[in-house]
Amino acid sequence: MVTAACTFASPGQPSGTWAGAPPSRWGTSPVVTPAHASAGDAVRGFFGIRPDARQPFDFSHQIHLSKGVLCTDCHTGVEKGPVAGIPSINTCMICHSQIATDRPLIKTLTEMQEKGRELDWQRVYGWVPEAHVRFDHAPHIRAKVECSTCHGNLAEQTVAQRAVNMNMSFCVSCHKSKQASNDCLTCHY
Amino acid sequence: MAYRWGMAVDLDRCTGCEACVTACHAENNIPTVGAGQAARGRAMHWIRVERYYEGDFPDVRVKFRPVLCQHCDAAPCEAVCPTYASHQSEDGLNAQVYNRCIGTRYCGNACMYNVRFFNFFNPEWEKPLNLQLNPDVSIRSVGVMEKCTFCVQRIKAAKVLIKSENRDLKDGELQPACAQACPTTALVFGDLNDPESRVARLSHSPRGTKLLEDLGAEPKVTYLQKQAWYEPDAH
Repeated sequence: MVTAACTFASPGQPSGTWAGAPPSRWGTSPVVTPAHASAGDAVRGFFGIRPDARQPFDFSHQIHLSKGVLCTDCHTGVEKGPVAGIPSINTCMICHSQIATDRPLIKTLTEMQEKGRELDWQRVYGWVPEAHVRFDHAPHIRAKVECSTCHGNLAEQTVAQRAVNMNMSFCVSCHKSKQASNDCLTCHY
Repeated sequence: MAYRWGMAVDLDRCTGCEACVTACHAENNIPTVGAGQAARGRAMHWIRVERYYEGDFPDVRVKFRPVLCQHCDAAPCEAVCPTYASHQSEDGLNAQVYNRCIGTRYCGNACMYNVRFFNFFNPEWEKPLNLQLNPDVSIRSVGVMEKCTFCVQRIKAAKVLIKSENRDLKDGELQPACAQACPTTALVFGDLNDPESRVARLSHSPRGTKLLEDLGAEPKVTYLQKQAWYEPDAH
């Protein structure tokens, strides 16, 4: 079980130095900013190389989707606001207080809920804070963009993986084809 | 119809309380640089209140003028930017794209209102002040210019809201932090393309002037004042 905190900020949630990350040993160098703990970090950040998210256990999207659970059942924020949301353990227990209670993993979950503990899910997608990208799920859902357009077909994945490379050309080409605004201020502010 | 954001500042109402300055700092995560750096001209205030004194002591009158980015239609800062980081947005906002900015500071030098600020340092907030940051606003890092955005994060949020509710924006519904904080409603923000909006009517007021109007930058901020103020023989 990996408990390392995710180093990538949620949209709208400042991270890095101002949120208590270890201070840079380079001071306030203009090259290696406190957003990067080391020169290697800065290089990886520049090329967009980042480690895959490591989850507390292998949650299978495929099993849940094949049983008819919808994306919005667990990622409840997706139609309401910017953040789709990673479900808390209470969301799991809505179903799993009755379903598959004999499985060892569900028993562990039940115990964790009783102790008031949470699972340490890591974000799979997201941008580095330096990208200054502001993304809002709700307008995209209203514009009838399928979840799979940006997140891949999760019915074929077990643990969610970064199936789509969300670079700027990916966003811009879709915005162009749907005649959505391509002004810089649409996403970067 | 596209929006065209603008502001009217009623100088006859302004009491110089600087609530707008405080609100702007809180809303937009504007860092403070300390007294030493401020003395070197590195302080950052997206909106400031300028003071003008009239008369000699003890018969002195103080006049206040809040100065923020004028969001010029023919902005000199945009023409000089080599990377198009400073550009006119669809809504007539004079936008600064932090990703594109390489810190030449040409825009800051071109701006005659002195409302563009360069980040000489990475911003730092002493604990627990780091917890008061606005999550909807980017933290600007060292080496980029920043400026008043007319609280673009609020504009974006309002646009998303009205689209979800399938209605038009009501006048006065959307306010930047400075206008919201102003106790005398000296700052009025709105859509200049809507002839019925309060800001559009105030912009055509006979009391209205633009700051350094003769330089031809066509600012979208109108200052309202009794015109006798600056006539030298008025009193």
